[in-house]
Amino acid sequence: MSSIRVNPYPMPDLLAALEQLQQQQTNATLELGTGSSINKPSDNPAGAAQLIKINNLSSQVDSFQLSIGSISGQFSTADSTLSSVVTVLQRAISLGVEGANGTLSDADRAAVAAEVTGIQSQLLSLANTSYQGQYIFAGTANTQPFIVDPTQGSGVRYVGNTGTNSVAIGNGYQLQVNLPGSQIFTGTGGNIFLAINDLITSLNSNTGIGAAVTELGNAFSYVTGQRVFYGNALNQTQSQQTYLSSETVSLSQQLNEIGAANIADVASQLANDQTAQTATLEAIGKTPQSSLFDYLK
Amino acid sequence: MSSLFGALSIATGALGAEQGAMDATTNNVANANTPGYSRLRPVLTESDPVVEGSVTYGEGVTLQKLESLRDPILQLRIEDETQQQGQLNTFVSAMQQAQVQFTSTSSDIASQISNFFSSLNQVSTDPTNLSLRQSVLTVAGNMATVFNNTSDSLSQQQTNLDLSVTQTVQQVNTLTGQIASLNTQISQLQGTGQDASAFEDQRDVAIGQLSSLIDVSTINSDNSLTLTTSNGTALVVGGQSFSLSTQTNASGFQDVYAQGVDVTSKLTSGQLAGLIQVRDQTIPGLLSNLDTLASGLANALNAANAKGFDLNGNPGGNIFVPPSVSGQGYAANMAVLITDPSLIAASSDGSQGSNGNVAVLAAVQNQAVAGGQTPTDYYSNIVASVGNDVANGTAELSSTQLVLNQLQDQLGSISGVSLDEEASNMVQYQRAYDAAANVVTTINDMLFTVINMSTLTT
Repeated sequence: MSSIRVNPYPMPDLLAALEQLQQQQTNATLELGTGSSINKPSDNPAGAAQLIKINNLSSQVDSFQLSIGSISGQFSTADSTLSSVVTVLQRAISLGVEGANGTLSDADRAAVAAEVTGIQSQLLSLANTSYQGQYIFAGTANTQPFIVDPTQGSGVRYVGNTGTNSVAIGNGYQLQVNLPGSQIFTGTGGNIFLAINDLITSLNSNTGIGAAVTELGNAFSYVTGQRVFYGNALNQTQSQQTYLSSETVSLSQQLNEIGAANIADVASQLANDQTAQTATLEAIGKTPQSSLFDYLK
Repeated sequence: MSSLFGALSIATGALGAEQGAMDATTNNVANANTPGYSRLRPVLTESDPVVEGSVTYGEGVTLQKLESLRDPILQLRIEDETQQQGQLNTFVSAMQQAQVQFTSTSSDIASQISNFFSSLNQVSTDPTNLSLRQSVLTVAGNMATVFNNTSDSLSQQQTNLDLSVTQTVQQVNTLTGQIASLNTQISQLQGTGQDASAFEDQRDVAIGQLSSLIDVSTINSDNSLTLTTSNGTALVVGGQSFSLSTQTNASGFQDVYAQGVDVTSKLTSGQLAGLIQVRDQTIPGLLSNLDTLASGLANALNAANAKGFDLNGNPGGNIFVPPSVSGQGYAANMAVLITDPSLIAASSDGSQGSNGNVAVLAAVQNQAVAGGQTPTDYYSNIVASVGNDVANGTAELSSTQLVLNQLQDQLGSISGVSLDEEASNMVQYQRAYDAAANVVTTINDMLFTVINMSTLTT
């Protein structure tokens, strides 16, 4: 007998092949079901590690966007508050100009002074504006920043602090979110409460009204200048928001590149595996059911 | 001397030899599906001839023995591969279990770390907001819990593996006992010149099973077989087996002893080695990585909190229960120390509305807190290493499986029973038997003729 003897039991080989095919099909089905090619770390260890890092970045971006949402409300409130302050000051200035008119009777001037006094309390209330329970012009103090104090020349006292807060709206991007009220309303460049108080005093005494109006005009310019801070901050959050949105898109693209199942590939792989499985099953079915014994009669 | 009776005895001998050959075929067919069975082959030889003058008379056929077809070298290679396979199989299936802990979900360690820092960032937008602060504590609790659970699951798996070590040692002892008693039977039979192939087959099966459990070296000398572990400790010497035993070690796990010597770390293949590798190296490595990460995070966050002031204006204290210096076992015991959300030190100057210290706390996310890496990078490396272990183990396992299949194919081609072959042998033996029987009949006729010769002459 010179021919090579073959293993008469092909079954274990066939069963191993079948097992392998079934395993591949299970994996392919899982990939199709989840749409992800990395369903456990061993599917692609380096990819799995990458996914963790990208997911973390993506969660940071989400959190920056949430922060922007929260501080934008604060910025809008501050901005519109300062816009009202500006409007109210404009009215006070025109009242002052009116009061400076020498033809006005004492009673008329007193009426003007009364209206300016009304403006004064309006300004006080604006300077004490709060957003979600937090006074926005108190620096970092958690207290009503301006209180009435007749001993002061301006008639009010600032009891907030000069602290400022910053909020992270990007990696390494800290945006200052507030200006202390002392800087906005009672700064050295222009103290609106002092100017208003001076105007009321001058109206009542009918002396130096012109000077008081000038002082108020300076304070008005100063506050308008301070308001720019919030406008800028709003702009910055908006452009950062745009950047973060594109970042989200880019991160999810990276996620897909690393982790998404190639549906076409997987589906055709699955089809191949199924064909191979059918073939293997047929091979098993066709393993000789008979031997030479059946033919010996 | 040539005679009719001589011819008769040759024919009878042939009948016996063919019957014996038929026995081999019958036994082969009967054991066609018996695991480990090595087929038998009749060894027929010409009987010594008788020389008379110038004529040499053949003396027929002798059935020397029924030889069982085996390849000891191939058998050794199969045992070797089986040991590899046993080790890899155990390693891979244990690591697949461990891997589940590191599979990406919305509540895994990585996600909880991200969640914690996200929620911390939100505090900066409204530092006096208690509900924002509370959610930081809640998420911190979740983060501690996922460290606890991951660590506990791994420890639990370690305990299960330890149980398997004890069970495997018992299986090894049962098998070495069986092999020793088979050795005795084989050497007794071989000593009296008898065929011991049936027992040899059984022994091969038992050694095969043993190989999947532990690394054994087989030393086969005349009539005797010695099995040792790879470091040379005897498991079976002839008819004597030496049991392995287990003893509890300092970590509370079972160490394996062979004849009083601790061989735990010396086992290199087989299921036992795989179990011990995962129990004593891989899982402790993962646990210690988790401890490093958890304690690094807790220390860094505690330190960052201490740099600021809480809502009451007091200097910040610990957020997490402080880890021990080594950090050992911290992942299992990580816990949030504070329950009062106002104790988060968001303020950098003591004023309530300040958020300056939130940036310090949040910066921990990008600090090298564990092994010189950021928390997320460190964790992602743990995941990659678990994934690599499983992926490499699986690849090695399937290549070992392939080699093993090929070797078994090869062994099957030598020792396996082919029914076709047996059928053709049967025909051959049957025809030869028929022919020999015909010869007997013919000689009988001839003898009849001789016996009746006298009658013919009268």
